[in-house]
Amino acid sequence: MDLAPVLSGFAVVFEPQNLLYCLIGVTLGMLVGVLPGLGPAATIAILLPITYGIEPAAAVILLAGIFYGAQYGGTITSVLLRLPGEASSVVTAIDGYQMARQGKAGSALGIAAIGSFIGGTASIILLTLVAPFVANFALEFGPAEYSVLALIGIFLVATLGNGTLIKSVAAGGVGLILATVGLDPIVGTARFTFGSDQLADGIDFVIVAMGLFGVGEILYNLEHRLRPQPAVLSFGRAIPTRLEWLRSRLAILRGSVVGFVLGVLPGGGATMSSLVAYAVEKRSAKDPSRFGKGAIEGVAGPESANNAAATSSFIPLLTLGIPANATMAVLFGALLLQGIPPGPQLIVDHPDVFWGVVNSMYVGNILLLLLSIPLIGVFVRLLRVRAAILAPLTVLITMIGVYSIRNNVFDMFLVVALGLVGYGMKKLGFEPGPFVLAFVLGELLESSFRRSMRLFGGDLTGFVERPVSAVLVAVFVLTVVIVPVLRAVRGRQAARAEREVVGV
Amino acid sequence: MKSPVWSRTTSRRRLLAGFAALAVLPVAACSGVQGGKDAAGGNYPTRAVQFTVPFAPGGSSDLISRAAAKAAEKPLGQSVVITNKPGANGAVGDKEVLASAADGYTVGLAVKSLFAITPLAVKDPTAIQVDNMEIVATLNQEDYVLVVNAASPYQTLEDLLKAPTIRYATAGVGTGAQLSQALLFKAANVKATDVPFDGGAPATTALLGNQVEALSASLAETMEQIKAGKLRPLAVFSEKRSTYLPEVPTAKEKGFDVVVDQRRFIIAPKGLPEDVSKALNDAFAEARKDAAYDKFLKDNYMERWEVSDEEARQHLKDAAKQYADLTAKFQLTFGSGK
Repeated sequence: MDLAPVLSGFAVVFEPQNLLYCLIGVTLGMLVGVLPGLGPAATIAILLPITYGIEPAAAVILLAGIFYGAQYGGTITSVLLRLPGEASSVVTAIDGYQMARQGKAGSALGIAAIGSFIGGTASIILLTLVAPFVANFALEFGPAEYSVLALIGIFLVATLGNGTLIKSVAAGGVGLILATVGLDPIVGTARFTFGSDQLADGIDFVIVAMGLFGVGEILYNLEHRLRPQPAVLSFGRAIPTRLEWLRSRLAILRGSVVGFVLGVLPGGGATMSSLVAYAVEKRSAKDPSRFGKGAIEGVAGPESANNAAATSSFIPLLTLGIPANATMAVLFGALLLQGIPPGPQLIVDHPDVFWGVVNSMYVGNILLLLLSIPLIGVFVRLLRVRAAILAPLTVLITMIGVYSIRNNVFDMFLVVALGLVGYGMKKLGFEPGPFVLAFVLGELLESSFRRSMRLFGGDLTGFVERPVSAVLVAVFVLTVVIVPVLRAVRGRQAARAEREVVGV
Repeated sequence: MKSPVWSRTTSRRRLLAGFAALAVLPVAACSGVQGGKDAAGGNYPTRAVQFTVPFAPGGSSDLISRAAAKAAEKPLGQSVVITNKPGANGAVGDKEVLASAADGYTVGLAVKSLFAITPLAVKDPTAIQVDNMEIVATLNQEDYVLVVNAASPYQTLEDLLKAPTIRYATAGVGTGAQLSQALLFKAANVKATDVPFDGGAPATTALLGNQVEALSASLAETMEQIKAGKLRPLAVFSEKRSTYLPEVPTAKEKGFDVVVDQRRFIIAPKGLPEDVSKALNDAFAEARKDAAYDKFLKDNYMERWEVSDEEARQHLKDAAKQYADLTAKFQLTFGSGK
């Protein structure tokens, strides 16, 4: 491999103005990440006209910084206020928020920042080494592969949280039903829209997450207003303890790899990666019952994964000209405006831009780590604010965030309605996590499956005739059918053996 | 939204309530500021003009709006503020624009497909009627091109039409991408299955990955892949050959009377005062001459479409009728429309 262009990319990065643009980008990104609603895609679109006048490499360094910076920021509200602004930080909200309630918000955010840094950096190194080879992996993924992937994801959802399995499944089922709202993805029939345009495009993920997690939690806490609140006295340090680090070390590494691989897939990659990382940690833990009650691995794994995925989602854009998500689509536009067509030729025709942007991510990640560690100390102080002030403030943030998605008042009513649902679920012991993730994956499953059926002419065997899809089907059968059955059989044998021992 | 009424006895509680209302005001009142007294005067505009983009930030419609709005600020002498209100192919945002006061402080982007194609797929009794709005300026025309994977054996449109099976990707139900291909394959009397994706980018990915045999998409979505030699253009669905793809024949040349394109224009509520209407017309006419706007169009492989209000209106009506007739003739159905 020719290292000269890679190294000359560093020369681009270390030009003072580019370092400055990188700093502005990641700082802005972190800020928009903290505020739920106004996501990186919208921010980049708004800033696009400003970038007309600056150099191509500098412009893309700035805009890319906003994207991965937002991934760092999103964690903060997930952990402290239980407001996940992106689908990929929903799983962080589960154990992260529990840690915050136990007075370990500092550790949770600290390990998230460190995990994000390692995940992001590992992903850049992998990108540098193997980008051209894994790019085609994205093309191998057609509707059939996405169908099976989403199906695996939906079954993994059931392992989330600490409620009973049956309640997780029920919550997930309702999430799947809610995902059908809007125009039918294949034939365009209106479903559950009640004749209104407002629901024609379905319900935005952020509204569902904010309602069920954020507003639902606030309503639930209001009920306990008169009783003494379980006061959060300490926040812990931002630097994790030795035990926490030992526990998270491997989680971060596993999360980075999972994130890198799934992040390459256009559409749903980041969400799936955080979910898979969580499931992997829970399965490999000695004591899985800690999960959902503030297990640090439940923060470290998914956070490393979603940052690694954010970085590797640049691969399809920069090497194939395929935008993997909404933000990448805007970056696609930004590159076009700079006269740099994103596509297979980019790395050949504009190596300075390609390597400049890729290498700027090392710097960006370091800057983010340096920014977040001291800021954690500031943010966690939020928890010291009395509930009487914090709760309305959270509602205000939620409302602004939800409104900013479409500038639509209807969405604000929707989030209140979903908040009531979230409150009811919490009262009855249902977890919002499975609901929200099933909602996200349900849309992917339905549209991909129905597209596959059209492509296969209605023949189900198509799923096992394509190599990648066949492998995924095998994984699905193994994890969802064979392993649980074996476990049940072994459990029964053990019980019988025990009974015989007792009987003798 | 009513502003809080202030009484002389400002107790602490009242003050707090006022602050709470103030905090919400800038957000909730964004769209509620029009209809001021200054609308009647002859010195329009005296404050910022709200420009509603009924699509999400980042897409072609959003970016062209931002380019046009920016270029219009100088001739207008006021800032033009973009607000995105996406939903239902622009129906949500545009209905809101047309429901606001006709004072020239609220304009919005609209697309041809909302008037010509959406009615084929979605039955909406409250749909916007072409005669119920003012067209302040027309902006651009975007052509659709039929492409196949460059590794496929199909060199010409005739080759593709002889293929044993054709599965074609579209950017979704009720899009020009779907209509153009549905009409073409029906007119050619070949059996073809449509596979709608969620937008042009995943549809292009599906063709690159050989999941489907064909795709119709806008030039902006496909041109880089065509240039890189990954996709092969077989036909364009415009009246005349595209200036960006002069070698590629039109479907019409090949004997199929299928002309489908996307056009974008700026609308305002009906009944604008004469001087306001003229000021807006002039400002956007000037904006279209802007160098940065011109560069934007070229970078995105868009054509100019600059006609009068009446011509634009007539074009929308004609296109709606033509598509409705063609789909009826070929007995095509889209969604829940008839």
